Amino acid sequence: MTPTLSIQNLTIEYAVRRGAVQAVRNISFDIRRGEVLSLIGESGSGKTTFGLGVMRLLPTMARVRQGSLLYRRDAASDALEVLKLNDAALRAFRWKHVAMVFQSALNSFNPVLRISDQFADTAHAHGYLRGNLLAARAAQLFTLVRLDPERVWRAFPHELSGGMRQRVMIALALLLEPQLLILDEPTTALDVLTQRNIIDVLKELRHKLNFALLFISHDLSLAADLADRVATMYAGKLVEIGDVFTIFQSPRHPYTTGLIRAVPTLTSDRKDLTSIPGSPPDLIDLPSGCKFHPRCPLASARCKSEEPELEDAAAGHQVACWNWRAI
Amino acid sequence: MTTVRAFLIELGKTLKLLARNRVAFFGLIVLVTLIFLSYIGPLIWPAETKSNLAAIYQGPSWQHPLGTDFQGQDNLRQVIHGGRVILEIAFITGILTTLIAVTLGSLSAFLGGAFDSVMTELINVWLTIPQFPLLAILATMLKVSDVWLLAIILALLDWPGLARQVRAQVLSLKQRDYVEAAITLDLGTPHIIFREIMPNMMSYIAISLIFAMTGAIYQQTGLVFLGLVPLSGANWGVMLSLAYNRGAIYTVDALGNVLAPVGAIALLQLSLVWLARGLEEVFNPRLRTSV
Amino acid sequence: MTTTVAPLGVDRTWLARLKRIPLDDLRYLVRSVLKSLFTIWLVTTLIFFVIRLMPGNPVDIFVQDLLLKGLAYEDAQTQAASMLGVRLDRPLHEQYFEFLGNLAQGDLGKSYISRNVPVSQMIVQRLPWSIFSIGTALLISFALGILLGMIVAYKRNSWIDHLLTNLAAAMDALPSYLIAILLILLLCTVFKVIPVTMTRGAVSPGIPPGFSIDFFVDVLQHYALLAFVYILSRTGSWMLTMKSSTMSTLGEDYVTAASARGLSEGRIITAYVGRNASLPLVTRLALSIGFVVGGSVIIESIFVYPGIGLLLSQALYSRDYPVMQGVFLVTTIAVVLSNFVADLLYGWLDPRIRIAGEAK
Repeated sequence: MTPTLSIQNLTIEYAVRRGAVQAVRNISFDIRRGEVLSLIGESGSGKTTFGLGVMRLLPTMARVRQGSLLYRRDAASDALEVLKLNDAALRAFRWKHVAMVFQSALNSFNPVLRISDQFADTAHAHGYLRGNLLAARAAQLFTLVRLDPERVWRAFPHELSGGMRQRVMIALALLLEPQLLILDEPTTALDVLTQRNIIDVLKELRHKLNFALLFISHDLSLAADLADRVATMYAGKLVEIGDVFTIFQSPRHPYTTGLIRAVPTLTSDRKDLTSIPGSPPDLIDLPSGCKFHPRCPLASARCKSEEPELEDAAAGHQVACWNWRAI
Repeated sequence: MTTVRAFLIELGKTLKLLARNRVAFFGLIVLVTLIFLSYIGPLIWPAETKSNLAAIYQGPSWQHPLGTDFQGQDNLRQVIHGGRVILEIAFITGILTTLIAVTLGSLSAFLGGAFDSVMTELINVWLTIPQFPLLAILATMLKVSDVWLLAIILALLDWPGLARQVRAQVLSLKQRDYVEAAITLDLGTPHIIFREIMPNMMSYIAISLIFAMTGAIYQQTGLVFLGLVPLSGANWGVMLSLAYNRGAIYTVDALGNVLAPVGAIALLQLSLVWLARGLEEVFNPRLRTSV
Repeated sequence: MTTTVAPLGVDRTWLARLKRIPLDDLRYLVRSVLKSLFTIWLVTTLIFFVIRLMPGNPVDIFVQDLLLKGLAYEDAQTQAASMLGVRLDRPLHEQYFEFLGNLAQGDLGKSYISRNVPVSQMIVQRLPWSIFSIGTALLISFALGILLGMIVAYKRNSWIDHLLTNLAAAMDALPSYLIAILLILLLCTVFKVIPVTMTRGAVSPGIPPGFSIDFFVDVLQHYALLAFVYILSRTGSWMLTMKSSTMSTLGEDYVTAASARGLSEGRIITAYVGRNASLPLVTRLALSIGFVVGGSVIIESIFVYPGIGLLLSQALYSRDYPVMQGVFLVTTIAVVLSNFVADLLYGWLDPRIRIAGEAK
């Protein structure tokens, strides 16, 4: 089956005074129809830039150096090169095909407009439903995300709690039935119970409505709970990708291993808990060879000079490490 | 001694940074020139006491580079003599305004409670009073001929706006970790205000001081222009007022007589604003690239 | 909404409407009203005591003036009293209450100089000119400032940003009377583009006021330079404030989210960026509108424009205290009222503010 979004050789840089920040380096992978893909990594690994890049929402100082983003609404339709869309086509593409829920749902709504107005704005921009039909459609979505439509529809954003606002945002994201929903750390600002609630809502939604989900997070437990597949990013590069069981049970990249070891579980012993030594590299002045080698316990001479590319470790499991067989 | 040395080192660093900022550096040079001219100039070129009826409203010449006024007196010489009072009033007003505003504003933010509520309301009420009319009415009664008296009146009228900003600044600084730590350790209000909070506000205070000075220049020259402050002797405001009231602005030959005080006041105001804007950029690098 | 007609229908709908206003809003309203009244009272009291207790107490000076002119003390006292609308032989606190009582009836006393002309009448005559000239100039400079501020924020670090920002900062720094004098000098004296008579007064003598084209053109000609000076000197400040406000709004997540939602650029600029960025400026505009009532003392003096500002400057010049007091009070009341309107307007424009007001 054709993927919903096929990313090829995507490279994004930021021009700053000191030089070029290499935020996303030559990333290629597919987001399959209806799957949940978790993109994990530390902060500063380029996850958010990648998410914004797919929506073409990058700030003005960012440049897409190369790459291609091929989108297909369904198996029968023609592929759309997102990077080549003109302004009008891009506006029409956003939200109708790919929608995004941001890190801080708290500030994602215009504070001076009612929720109903913000739904109407979105619908109007895409020539979608209006008036009572729109209200009915929104009510249906609010019920899906476990909100009381009466309470939410005429409210101002500040009258809703953080968790409610995030769910309203998810409802708004689903308004135009997009094929891909990007969630960028959607639960970071929320307390644990609310986080759980949002994850449950998302699980339910993906079974009811069939859309693909790119879940960007540094929280491995949430990622594991929700995802079909997991991709790990380090220093702007994809270092490992595979299905959720493989990645969590037999990861092949030392960075993924490190991330998993750093998460406490109820059953694990405290002494098994280790953090990854060192800190993420400077994205302007990257180390030579494999970018992870300064922090890697398995680093060899080859790691310092040559950067590994993704290769198959098993069916549907790819890893970018010279020493993956040793793990 | 160490604090003095630390202060000098900081000052040196600031000056170095300023030198790199073209706008600020230019402002500083103009300002320093004006100060020198106003303080050293009168020693070299004494004031004219006699009027010269043969040389009324002359254009620029070698003898009178900026021409002459309605009494035939040299315009340049008057500009040199007329800056000192303005600079002094501006500086004293600036210092007093800042002092009152910083004290009341930071106390209000720091103590909170009833004091803060009363202060906030007082500032709100004060800001709704039309400042310039009140100033003008007071000036008719007080016969302000003294530099200090005028500066005190100006400062008493001008502090609330700055005090409100200082209060907001201190409130946000209070949230910082190191200040919260000092409060938890109970280091005492004076210590927290003067050691923890003020050093982080010095740049802000310096900039506010400069803006307070520009305000004072605006108000005092305005009062003089309306003829409400009988400040004796030479003063750019008096020059301008005379030029206007004697009809010099309608006489082509008297161009220099109008342009001299206009230029002097404008240069002083602009140099202060350039300096302040430059300082803002130096102290707040976020403004430089302004994302 | 046709329900059964009850005998007290009107009252009932009125009551019903009142009940529909949330309690928080009502409390907010009441607080604003009380605050405004308090401010007016405070300023009134302040000016009363300033004028009577200052060292150069103008009441005594006026009485002495009359004495010098050969009036008997008793007569001088009664005359001064009639000007101020207060009996001077009474104790101060009784004078104070009498003064407040007169004020409540709109009686601001009579002018020292134009004998027996009520101050309120003088103010009413001058008011339209100030509101017309300074008022429209204020609105134009505000609109221009908002527009330029947004343009500059969108085009930041371009040549147009550098040019306009530096120009605005310079214009903001220059006192308006310098700009006025420079323009008169350049346009009337040096280049002779504008006749000098156009820079003095509000109409040419000899043109009968009325709905004639001549009159209309003449008024506009006299208005043009004054308004231009005001706009030049005020637009910079609006522009700089709008620029920084717009820049911080552009960094807000809801603006990024709005583009992600595919909204048109026009909708984002107006309803998302513009509306939020101009919120802080709206309060300042309302306050400035209050100050318009007081005219602009120095600009109106330079252009001899017969507004309130010129009235005040003439009163200052001739030490006409009842007029000064009247102008000052009327201006303050206008500022307080516009402040009150700003409060309500802000609460309406920014739904968050009512809650914040309560939390304080």
